[in-house]
Parts: sequence; C-alpha cells; structure tokens
Amino acid sequence: MGIDNAHYYGWEGRLQSPWRSSLAIVRVALLQVFRRKSYWVVLALGLLQFLMFWGLIYAIKQVNFPQQVQDEILEFMGFEGAGATENGYVTFMQQQSVIVMILLAFAGSLLVGADFRMGSLPFYLSRRIDRRHYILGKLLAISTVVALMTVLPAILLFLEYGFLTASLDYWVDHWRIPVSVLVYGAVICTVLSILIVCVSAYLQRVAPIAITWSSIFVLLASMSRLLRRDGGSMYWGLVDPWRNMRYIGRLCFGTFETNEELNFALWALAIMTVVCGVALALLVRRVRAVEIVE
Amino acid sequence: MDLIHLRNVNRSYGRVRALRDVNLRLAPGTTGLVGNNGAGKSTLLKILLGLLAPDSGSGTILGCDIVAASSELRGRVGYMSEAAATVPVLKGVEFVTLAGDLYGMPHRDARRRAHEVLNYVGLGELRYRRLEEYSTGNLQRLKLAAALVHDPELLLLDEPTNGLDPAGRAGMLRLIEDLIRETDKSVILCTHLLGDVERLCEQVVVIDRGTVISSGTMGQLKQQIHNQYELAWQGASAPFLAALQTLGAEVTADGTPNRAKVLVPPDWSNAKFFEVARNEGVVLTQLSPEEENLERLFFRVTRSAPESAAVEPSDPQPDVAHGN
Repeated sequence: MGIDNAHYYGWEGRLQSPWRSSLAIVRVALLQVFRRKSYWVVLALGLLQFLMFWGLIYAIKQVNFPQQVQDEILEFMGFEGAGATENGYVTFMQQQSVIVMILLAFAGSLLVGADFRMGSLPFYLSRRIDRRHYILGKLLAISTVVALMTVLPAILLFLEYGFLTASLDYWVDHWRIPVSVLVYGAVICTVLSILIVCVSAYLQRVAPIAITWSSIFVLLASMSRLLRRDGGSMYWGLVDPWRNMRYIGRLCFGTFETNEELNFALWALAIMTVVCGVALALLVRRVRAVEIVE
Repeated sequence: MDLIHLRNVNRSYGRVRALRDVNLRLAPGTTGLVGNNGAGKSTLLKILLGLLAPDSGSGTILGCDIVAASSELRGRVGYMSEAAATVPVLKGVEFVTLAGDLYGMPHRDARRRAHEVLNYVGLGELRYRRLEEYSTGNLQRLKLAAALVHDPELLLLDEPTNGLDPAGRAGMLRLIEDLIRETDKSVILCTHLLGDVERLCEQVVVIDRGTVISSGTMGQLKQQIHNQYELAWQGASAPFLAALQTLGAEVTADGTPNRAKVLVPPDWSNAKFFEVARNEGVVLTQLSPEEENLERLFFRVTRSAPESAAVEPSDPQPDVAHGN
C-alpha cells in the first residue's frame, strides 16, 4: 500500500472558529444531495414548474393574447384576487415547496438520519464542533436546498417580469416583492429545515420519515378540511401547517382583505413558531455525541 | 508535564456506575487501555475527549481541563472511533477534508493535508473512491487519516484493528508503529487485543468494572507475571500443598488425587519444589511448567473468565442520551 515509502509531515497553522465548520457541513450536505441521481428526478420536477411559470410570463408579456385568455393564464398561475401579483408569488413558492417537501422526505434520511444510524454523529462531535454547530450546519444545508428551489426561482421570475415590462415604474412600484420573497423564503426554509431535521434525527430511515412527513402535511391538511366543512370554525384551519404557511406568506406579502384573515395569519405565525420551538428543543435533546441505554 | 492527569473521576448512567474514583497519571508516550466488556474503557475515552462530562472529579489532558476546555482539547487530540462513522456518498479525500474542516482548519489546508495523510496511510490510490467501496481495513486506515489530518499531539485510537483480517491487522499495527516511531505523538490505544498492546505500548492501564486496577509501564506489568506448573507427586498431599502455600504459591487442585496446578511468584526457582518435597517426604513424579502470558495475567488481575474478554464492547444503542 506504499506506507513504507510515505513519510509523515506535520501541519502548522491556526485552527479557525468552530462556527466556520458549519459551512463545511452545508457543503458536504449539498454534495450528498446533488450526487444522488434519484434526487434529480424531484429536482427536475421543480425545474419544470419553474420553466412553466417562466414560459407563461414570457407568453403573457410578449404575445398579444385576448384579455380573457390572459386572465385565465393568470388565474391558472395563482395571480388572482386583491393582491394578484403577490398571491401569485405565494402560490408559486408554495407549489415549489411541495416538491421540496417530497425531496426532503427522501433526503432527510441521507443528510441527518444516516448520521444517527451509521454512528457518524460522534465523527462530527468528536472534532472541535459541538451540537450547536452541527445543528446549525444541518439546518443551513436543508435551508439551502429549500432556498434553491423556492426563493431563487421566485426572484428569477420577478426579474423576468421586470425586464419584460421594460419600464422603470415596475421596479419602483413592486420593490416590496423581492423583499417579501426573501422573508417568506426565510420562513419556509426555517420551518421545513427544523421539522425535517427533527423528524429525521428521531426516525432515521426513509420509510418512517416519509410516512411521518406526509402525515404532517397531507393528513393534517385533510383533517383540517373535514373539521372546517359544514360550517365549522375557520380556525380549524390552523391544524393544517401548509395552510398556516400560506397565510404566513400572505402576511409577508401583506395581501389581506379582512382583519379576520390578518388575525388568522397571526395565529398561524404563533402556532408555527411554537411548533418549530418544540421541534428545535427536541432536536437539541437528540443530538448527543454519546448515546446511552439506561 | 503529564499527558493525562485524572483525579477521582466518577461517571454513572442512571444507577450504573461506569467509572469509580478513577485516578490516573500518564506520561507522554504510547498507552494501552485494556479491559473487558463494560469495564468503562469507552466511557473513559469519551471523558478524555470531552464528549462526556464526569459526574464528579477533575482532570487535565495536555494541560487542558477536560470539562472547561473540551473544544480546545479536541483541536489537539485526534480521535479514531470504533464505529463505522462514515458519511454516505462522500469520496475518501472529501471525508478526510471534512474532518479537517470540522477541526477548524482552513479549507484549502484541510484539502491539501487530506491528500498527504491519505498517502501516508497507504490510501493514495483509493482517495477518489466512494466510502461505500472501501473494505473494512481501508476504512480503518481512512479513519486514522481523519484523526491525523490536523496533526494532533495525542491520538485516541478506539479498537483500530477491530474486524480486520490477520494481514489487515498486521498492516494497521505496522502503520501505527511507524507513526509512533516517526513522530513524537502520544497514543492511547483502547483495545481488548493484548497482543496489540504488548507490541505497541510502553504503558498500560487495566480497567475493570469502572476502576483502574493496574497502571504502569509494560515492564512493571510483566513483573506481575507468575509462572504456573502442573505437579504430580506420591505421598501425603495436605502438608506438601500447605508448605507450598506458605512460600507464596497459589494452589489449584482439580480433584484428581496427588495432582495440582501451582502458580508461583516471579522469583520462584524450580529447586524450591524439590526442597519442599524433600522436607515433606513427598516424591515428585511430574513437574510441567506453563508460563503465564500477558493474557493470562490480564484474566487473573481482572478475575474474570477468559471468554468474556474476547468480544469488544460496542457503543450502546440510543435511548436516553447524556453528554455533549
């Protein structure tokens, strides 16, 4: 193996802050995600949706469709209601989030579950970092994946619309949109990353993670719909995390028609904050270098 | 300066006391940490690494407090874990670079250094293979490279030859031997393979049921080696055996008349058997020596069955978590 020919050479240098090591965790996590060919199928879905929106915006701005057709296209894209433009971005980002959610259901096991399952956690924590750096690294890694599929395409669509409008007024009138996209993106990244890292840390394998993950976002949504049906209170909608996220999005974009909707959004924000806080506390409890059976 | 100085270190998991009043002073060099399953080796190693805080007691490693300066400490210590502890999908060089990054090395340095240490441990040609394609032996070398990447002063090696075939084990031992010879690094080797300890270590610490029962240089440990003889004789047994015991021999009779196994102190000479036999009016008909090796010595001092030391303790599975 050549060990007789190799000599050991020392290293002289200064070690940097452990916080920088979180970036190494992000880099490695992205490598892991983008090297899995099966994940590219899901990433391609997100790209297809983005291209569809891109194409429709191009068509609306460049082709002289009759007004009715234009309206139908805009309605299809979610650009409807009082804050039509803003709602369109909320809808687009939420649809992208659904695709990210599918990706995370599989990637959670690889990025986080494997560290627990294969005993890699002591590999991380026996270096200079502690669990704060590890958790931050994993959250940033998931957030980067989420942002790449939600925030980046939304910003690109905003830029496309702006450049095709060819008017400076568009940028002046709609300066809040990119800011809102970034704020809403930060909310989606925070919520999805905390939840998936927590679920993956406890369940570790793909199947239980996927089942739990889909239960959170599909089962609770169905339950919420059933509870609201037949004149039930609209506040049963707060059971649905997806709906809560949509309302938080509208809060970011400021597109409410009634005070009741605003109240609902504030409740949604409070609930999601508590859920994320609890998940984060559970995560901190779970991430230990040494695991012991009582 | 002491490499390690522990004072009255205790650690319990619920009602189980994993370490009891551990006092330990080790000079720089190569130290073997040996003990049976559940003896407390892994707990001690994790306390040394700052991953677990002791319930009581204190200590320093390389002059750093094991609790207050655990992060700084880990920057000066390289740890090779017993578990597979790999990161899926990564290539060898990326894994070692990641270890360097996690130690806080600048990324460029970590990457350059990863190539160097991989070359040193003999994985230069395999550096671009994915970890899933590495054999057990190569994975052990890879983990050693990851522990060496930041050029630590102290290496903690947890079962470095675990799961290796004889050729792989010999290669790994030769590599560690070279490393010890070529550098001034201190090494703590945690193992149940006494042959590895005998070959590599200058000092040895024997731990049993959470207590350090013996520590010192290998020479000091070997001074405790007793020799065993199988004796057969004609004549009265009781006064003969009593006379041997008076002189410090340990007698084990297996029930066969006029036969026994006798463990004698290191300074014993065979002439004493004949002298005692003559004095007690006994005729020796058999005197077969059985020299005690390090393994038998270990079983004797830990007072446990040989079978129990054949299996290395595994890391407990998750349920209730403590520590870092």
